[in-house]
Amino acid sequence: MDWGRIRFFLGEVQRNFTRNAGMQITAIGTVAVTIVMLGIFLYARSALIHAESGVFSQIEISVYADPAATAAQETVIRTALAQDPRILSVSFIPKREGLAQMRRLMKGQIDTSLLTENPLPDKFRIRVREAQEVPAVARSIARLPHVQNVEYGREVVQRLLQLAAVMRPVGIAVIVLFLLVAGIIISNTIRLTVFARRREISIMQLVGATNMYIRMPFICEGLLAGIAGTAIAVGALALARASLVPKIASALPWLPMNTVAVDLSTLVLELFAVGAAVGALASWIAVGRYLRT
Amino acid sequence: MISIRGVSLVYPNGVRALDNVSLEIGKGEFIFLVGHSGTGKSSLLRLLYREMAPSIGHITVDGIRVDRLARGRIPALRRRLGVVFQDYKLLSDKTVWENVAFALQVTGAHTRDVRRQVPRALDLVGLAHKSRMYPNELSGGEQQRTAIARALVNNPKLLLCDEPSGNLDPANTTEIMELLRRINLKGTTVVVATHNQAVVDRMRRRVVRLDNGRVITDEERGYYFLGLGQDQILSG
Ligand SMILES: Nc1ncnc2c1ncn2[C@@H]1O[C@H](COP(=O)(O)OP(=O)(O)O)[C@@H](O)[C@H]1O
Ligand SMILES: [Mg+2]
Repeated sequence: MDWGRIRFFLGEVQRNFTRNAGMQITAIGTVAVTIVMLGIFLYARSALIHAESGVFSQIEISVYADPAATAAQETVIRTALAQDPRILSVSFIPKREGLAQMRRLMKGQIDTSLLTENPLPDKFRIRVREAQEVPAVARSIARLPHVQNVEYGREVVQRLLQLAAVMRPVGIAVIVLFLLVAGIIISNTIRLTVFARRREISIMQLVGATNMYIRMPFICEGLLAGIAGTAIAVGALALARASLVPKIASALPWLPMNTVAVDLSTLVLELFAVGAAVGALASWIAVGRYLRT
Repeated sequence: MISIRGVSLVYPNGVRALDNVSLEIGKGEFIFLVGHSGTGKSSLLRLLYREMAPSIGHITVDGIRVDRLARGRIPALRRRLGVVFQDYKLLSDKTVWENVAFALQVTGAHTRDVRRQVPRALDLVGLAHKSRMYPNELSGGEQQRTAIARALVNNPKLLLCDEPSGNLDPANTTEIMELLRRINLKGTTVVVATHNQAVVDRMRRRVVRLDNGRVITDEERGYYFLGLGQDQILSG
């Protein structure tokens, strides 16, 4: 390892980086803003996708028995359900228990003590082995005798799909736009550094430095700007996640989010990769244009 | 060392800086390129270190076909020659030592070689004792010697000088020319473009005279002016 060479190189990079600090800060700030947006997008997408698969796998079919059905008739339903190979589990919730559950859920929202009689039917809760079989199973159960109603989380699924359909293109367009802006700002910053260092560059060329070598410190400068911006963004995102996500989750209870399942370390790595790539690519282009002329 | 055949150079703005120039320069020669300002001396040197390519003609430098050198091979050419300019082209935020070392460092030399060759180059130009000084702490002559040390630090066989004494007083000029003579004696081919009459007349070396982009004379031991007496020089 030739430490002298490394020290010289790092000195050159540092010289570049500090030469136009003001512009450098602008570049870092833009990267930070872009990465924050990208982070939010990826985080939300990941949370929703996990929720989506979670919702599908946990999707339950609720089978409501005819309120007039006798216990024997309900046993027929239960046997039919138990024999269906597509069904994973069946649990029976008598109307008493159903009411108790509702009381717990609706506590403070509806005064259930006003109810004079239990309006709920007996209910079977069914888990299906394969999520995509839910609709078919639901249909076949609906044909059983003494079954009043069959429900499954159709709305949740549809809402989820709609949300994703709207979010994806808009989010991607905005992020691509910001990545471009960040790239252009870094590129201009590097161009300023290149301009400030044109004397050094011309001497390097004169004494026979390769274009690759001349490029290197500038690429590192762009890389540093990208990484610094990403670091700031990741810090901001971490703060936001700690303080905002629980609030969002409670403010929008219908939003199916599964934030526990989001792979944070991969997400952070991805953000750093994008930040670094934007920085390096932008400076590569900026110096390349200078060296070619 | 250098072979120039039928070379013309037309700048993008249409100026014909060189017009069918042919010239052979042997290994170890010391040669002056003289002529009025604007006759193409700098342009000729630029072709040799491939700052530019000729519009037509062949140029060979140290066995390398310079006129059609791929862009990627220019650094290799530049490492085999040194170039010195009137304005020294030193980096003001680096010391003498760092300026000289720069030429090695940016071409990927090992620290070991930098430590060995920089002092050698500084000794050659007599600046070892000022290696920690910055260019603005040096006289013009010392700055030019620093530039020469940088040009020579990787032991090139060819040194190109474009008006090396253009900004120097007579004493410093003498010093620089003496240094160039010593460098030449060690075997380096030296090409000096100048319009300094005293320098040329004192050295009595080969003189190639350019006029309006053409070689008009080429003398083995020439003077600055061709066959002109002092009176005419002063009046003309
Ligand atoms: N970069 C350039 N672009 C256009 N014309 C140039 C350029 N450099 C030099 N010239 C022209 O070419 C001619 C030769 O210039 P130069 O080689 O610098 O002469 P010298 O070094 O002998 O003074 C001049 O007419 C000058 O104006
Ligand atoms: Mg000139």
